[in-house]
Amino acid sequence: MVDQNTSPRKTTGTKGDAVEVAAPMPLRFGDDPYVWACWLYYEDGRTQSDIAQIMGISRATVNTYLADARDRGIVNISLEPERLGSLLLAKELKRHFGLNDCLVVPSDDGARPLIDRLGAAGGQALSRMIRSGDTLAVAWGRTVMAIAEHTSASVQDVTVVQATGGTRANFAYTPEHCAAALARAVKGRLVNITAPALVNSRQARDIIMQEPLVEDQFEVLQQANKALFGIASLRPNSTIHTSGFFESVAIQEYLSKNAVGVVAGRFLDGQGTPVKGPLDERTIGIDLDTLKAIDMRIAVAGGYDKVPAILAALRGGYVTILITDAATGSAILSAEDVRPNVTRPLRTRSQDEVAQPLRTRNFVKKFLNDADEVVEEMLEGLIEAHSSHLSPINGSQRALMARNGPRPGKVGLVIGGGSGHEPCFFGYVGQGLADAVAVGNVFSSPPPGPILECARAASGGEGVLFVYGNYAGDVMNFEMAAEMAQVEGIKVRTVLTTDDIASSSLEDREGRRGVAGNFFIFKIAGAACDRGLNLYECEAMTRHANDRTFTMGVALESCSLPQTRRPSFDIGPDDIEIGMGIHGERGVIRQELAPADAIVDRIMDQIFVEMKPAKGDSVAVLVNSFGGTPLMELYIIYRRVRQRLAARGVRIEANWIGHYCTSLDMVGASISIMHLDNQLTELLRHPCDGVAINIA
Amino acid sequence: MGEPGTQQIIRMFERISLAINSEKGRLSELDGAIGDADHGITMARGFSAVTKRLSGSNCETLSPSEILRIAASTFLDAVGASTGPLYATAFTDAAQALSGKDRLAVQEQADLIAAFSSGIKRRGKGERGDKTMLDAWVPAAEAALRARARDATAVEMWQDILSAAETGCESTKSMVAARGRALRLGERSLGHIDPGAASAVVIIAAMKDTFADS
Repeated sequence: MVDQNTSPRKTTGTKGDAVEVAAPMPLRFGDDPYVWACWLYYEDGRTQSDIAQIMGISRATVNTYLADARDRGIVNISLEPERLGSLLLAKELKRHFGLNDCLVVPSDDGARPLIDRLGAAGGQALSRMIRSGDTLAVAWGRTVMAIAEHTSASVQDVTVVQATGGTRANFAYTPEHCAAALARAVKGRLVNITAPALVNSRQARDIIMQEPLVEDQFEVLQQANKALFGIASLRPNSTIHTSGFFESVAIQEYLSKNAVGVVAGRFLDGQGTPVKGPLDERTIGIDLDTLKAIDMRIAVAGGYDKVPAILAALRGGYVTILITDAATGSAILSAEDVRPNVTRPLRTRSQDEVAQPLRTRNFVKKFLNDADEVVEEMLEGLIEAHSSHLSPINGSQRALMARNGPRPGKVGLVIGGGSGHEPCFFGYVGQGLADAVAVGNVFSSPPPGPILECARAASGGEGVLFVYGNYAGDVMNFEMAAEMAQVEGIKVRTVLTTDDIASSSLEDREGRRGVAGNFFIFKIAGAACDRGLNLYECEAMTRHANDRTFTMGVALESCSLPQTRRPSFDIGPDDIEIGMGIHGERGVIRQELAPADAIVDRIMDQIFVEMKPAKGDSVAVLVNSFGGTPLMELYIIYRRVRQRLAARGVRIEANWIGHYCTSLDMVGASISIMHLDNQLTELLRHPCDGVAINIA
Repeated sequence: MGEPGTQQIIRMFERISLAINSEKGRLSELDGAIGDADHGITMARGFSAVTKRLSGSNCETLSPSEILRIAASTFLDAVGASTGPLYATAFTDAAQALSGKDRLAVQEQADLIAAFSSGIKRRGKGERGDKTMLDAWVPAAEAALRARARDATAVEMWQDILSAAETGCESTKSMVAARGRALRLGERSLGHIDPGAASAVVIIAAMKDTFADS
């Protein structure tokens, strides 16, 4: 058992003397038998009796040493923080909501979709909890389907009963499919509800419910002792809206009565009280009272958009076992004002230490005359400096046009956005690029006025394409301008850029914001317009470029607005924000500062998940500074980006490294990759001449 | 109560501008927690532009509806961002609701609040519960309509409106943002009051001072 070569034991000494230490203690333990004992136990992996022999002491003493060592803090047992965090969350959720059990899936790098992780966890849990002879009521949804795919239990005589009627809607996770898949997984008897979940009238429901066949099925449902269901959000873009299961008019009515979520086809408000509405009397399926009467009610749901809905289900007492993910779990608890310290459970950094960024200094130094005039003064300088490329439209500094831009017969391209992102957006105006740019205040969309001026100036009779980042303010102002332009007979089409993959999940792609990838999307749009494609072709090509452009940013320090000259957000001395946008909004995840390669890897992993490049593909790369990060570091980043692409066999067709879409003085950078195909490559190579990009 | 509507509306904008200006710092701080820290600045810029424009000579001869239209276009041009279109639409809808009216009795004051709320809702395509200014405006409008239905006095009505707006604003603390830039923060927007709802309360309080104290 004991390896002579590595053991400090010397067994040649006499055993007759009853001394405590049989072998001289190696010097490195500094005469501390506790440390020695701990070393042998934790590092060398010896048993306590081995250690007793080695140290020449009794086993009981070894045991005492080891226990004291933990009390004295010589040894710290640590679990992997992510894992520990989710254990603590689960415990807290269980306590706070009086659940029978709770399982929290640790956060991961996002490489696996949430639905898969929940499905795997739910499947594992269900496989353990299902017993022979159970009757399991099963609702429908993507999560439930994912659980079915991960469930396998060797039990007998299980009945799986569909909890609601069926649907005409055509998707893979209908009530019928979900119940069937679960029945297969547990090799159980399947009982379908052979009626529609929604019928046209109350009378129709009553008649159907009296059919002996349906009565029998509901009899089985009444006997269910376990229930499995997801929790649906009523947020825009949720499955409830997109699946076509419910009528959207009816959903609106429930929404107006403050419904926030749906459990087994029934609507709940924020407190979990059932919301009455037009569908109630036309629904065939389990009602909330029957659901509540079931002993074990397993809910599986995750995602920030579902937080209010999950809270509703928990507050209403519909759940006895909750399965969710760490991010959602902690969101639920913070909504309830319960804050278990789970982010860094094993570290004892004090709060003061964390909140000590630039706060100690009151104001950030800037070159300013009058903070209220920054945009005007910048524009004065900018227009002078770039008079070869740009000129004001009708004397307005807030609407600039390309010297060689608009021409009859060409689709006009108008871009724009807030200031503070220089050289966005004026740098992408010029021949082969945008024809006009509307300039807003710092981090604020321009109003419709200048945008309309731009549309008029850019219009060459073939229509105008608006391309801008997807932000609520920009959308409202550009939409108003588009309406005004249409009234004047200028045809306008719009493409919103949504390249920031950190800003929203893949399912909500169109909800993402536009960031530095604008660079590529403007370039492609400009080339398409310059080549004389028609408005719809230009729009389609720009969308195509947007679909194939992926950006993710990281901030190391906050930016500060000229008006406040204070950091827009606090960031700890060792922290970085992953998923940073370009307005100083905080990112999506905060983590500890890591080596440059590790940060790049994290971004590239995420980009690869979405881009799915094949060997031999080519890409264009943009490594962009947020304003405060120097070129030196951008090249360090580029080096790693290139290595990662090369390892995948992906060729870099072109690269740009520098300040292309900034966020005032923010320290940080973003990586944008455009996944090229033949069309995009050709348009990327198309000559252009703007302040920030020039291709001969 | 004998004051002509036009003067009331002009005074309302003056009071709002003063109030927003003095709360500018607090609003920007709230915004810093979940947005880009400029909400106070933006709102102050918009309302000062409006009061500046309305202090022009010929405004007193216009109707309340015309004043609201001027306020809408001035606010929009001065602000942009998302608050520009939202409040511009609120003022435009109010102009429509008050068209042909010269005096603003309780009835019209309720219409004014309701039109603000529905205009913002229409432009922002939002709902109550999204953690936006609508969480203050929607309950405020509901309170106004309820008060009108039971023939409340102006003082009672404005008390109800303000307290509904304050409660609504406070409730944004426990919401996850569903719109605007805070949306991207996910659960980190929890525990923070929405700055748009906070500035709505400031505006409503200034409106109360205008209508309930005169």
